[in-house]
Amino acid sequence: MTDTPDSGKLLHDLRSKCSSLKSAAELYKDCSAAEKKEMLALMNAAAAEITKLLAQLDKA
Amino acid sequence: MEKLNIFVLEDDKLAQKVMAAHLAAHNTDLAGDLKTALKKIEAGKYDIGFFDLMLGPDDDYSGLKAIAAAAQKGIYCVVVSSSDSDDVIDRAYALGARDFYAKGNEESNVSDILRKFIQNRKAAGAADIFASAFITADPETRAAAAEALKYAPTELPILVLGPSGTGKTSLARILHEHSGREGAFVSINCSAYTEDLLEAELFGYRKGAFTGASETRKGRLLEAHRGTLFLDEIGTMSLNMQMKLLKAIEERSFYPLGSEKPERSEFRIISATLEDPQELIARGKMRFDLFQRVHGYTISLKPLSRRPCDIAPLLQHFTKGGRRLSFTQEARAYMESYAWPGNVRELKKFTDLLSCGAEGRIDLAAVQKHLKGREAAAAPARDGELYAYALAHGLEAALDKTAGEIIERSLRENGGKRTKTMADLKISTRLFYSTLKKLGLDNDGEKK
Repeated sequence: MTDTPDSGKLLHDLRSKCSSLKSAAELYKDCSAAEKKEMLALMNAAAAEITKLLAQLDKA
Repeated sequence: MEKLNIFVLEDDKLAQKVMAAHLAAHNTDLAGDLKTALKKIEAGKYDIGFFDLMLGPDDDYSGLKAIAAAAQKGIYCVVVSSSDSDDVIDRAYALGARDFYAKGNEESNVSDILRKFIQNRKAAGAADIFASAFITADPETRAAAAEALKYAPTELPILVLGPSGTGKTSLARILHEHSGREGAFVSINCSAYTEDLLEAELFGYRKGAFTGASETRKGRLLEAHRGTLFLDEIGTMSLNMQMKLLKAIEERSFYPLGSEKPERSEFRIISATLEDPQELIARGKMRFDLFQRVHGYTISLKPLSRRPCDIAPLLQHFTKGGRRLSFTQEARAYMESYAWPGNVRELKKFTDLLSCGAEGRIDLAAVQKHLKGREAAAAPARDGELYAYALAHGLEAALDKTAGEIIERSLRENGGKRTKTMADLKISTRLFYSTLKKLGLDNDGEKK
């Protein structure tokens, strides 16, 4: 299957978000309590973006 | 660790947070869009910059513009991106990026990049090693050593090839000093031990492990933890020892003699041999799998006879701070055409002999007194090297090279007299001139 330009872009964004989430998860255990809270909020936002991207990919 | 000024261009908030955490020990400046990035790059002073390429969902790799601006200001640009098409990678490098990493493994990538950057900067800014620690004026040797130094801060094993006395140990030490490794430089000459003794030296032993083991002793592998293990004359090691060493390298752990408790050691290997490793493998003297483990980057050091321009600076170096010597023109010419079978080590011994002599002004007779049998010594030292050249360029090229070197030398020793050279070497005029032409030499055997 050949990716349409749109799905190519979606896949790039998906890879990018997933990579950030993975790197953040690796860092999480070493964060202070305040940092953990901030990090978790950002990780949740990234996870929501990933869900959104997956839905768009499904339609593409 | 040295504190660096670091710039980060990254639009994703979570990725920004990750980068900031990994760069916490440095002064870090973040930008989330191109406009802010260009402003900061223009106004700031940064050592290194990390660049994302796609800034936002509809962006068209605008991070590339920031790379161009940063590279112009001399910032070491590293791309950390999820874009991995060859076209984008090519464009990033063409615009001045020095490294390109895929996103997602920042924990190890970022620290590796910073370590390499700091070490390379240290290497470039260090006092000229070619005038102090590794004396050479030979452009080819300088280029080879400078290239090897680029691999110093990596984990890659390095294999140093070259005849005895060419400075393999000195180079290994310099590579360790530029590696940024916190452990020690531990050197062992494998040819100096019997198999049993070498095993005890490398792996260490527990008290009572064998007769004479009156106390527990740490082996060289453990001494080299987080440092460098330099295995000189690795080609002399028995196959049995090679297998044990290979296991220790692969598993990063080993058992000292008489111990049931494994020891862990993270050492980087630099090894050296004066023989051609491929030939050793072919002769069954070296295990191929061990060779694969120790030859990540290979550097070959030329014998001193092939870099006569090094003789004067080495003489100067050896007499620094002591008795200075002066050489007549003939004495210099003789030294430059001498075969130096013992290479730099022989030159050092020769200088010591002259320094202890009665005269400070050295003439041809004084030099000849200490340098005898010059013709006989040259060939064996170059044997392995010539073989390696033939493997790389083909037999015909190797034969041309050898013929050229013999003609060049004979011409020099005959004071440029072509007829005498052809008569001495018993060659035709046609062979004489065609060989010179093939090697880009003029009719006097000099480089055109």
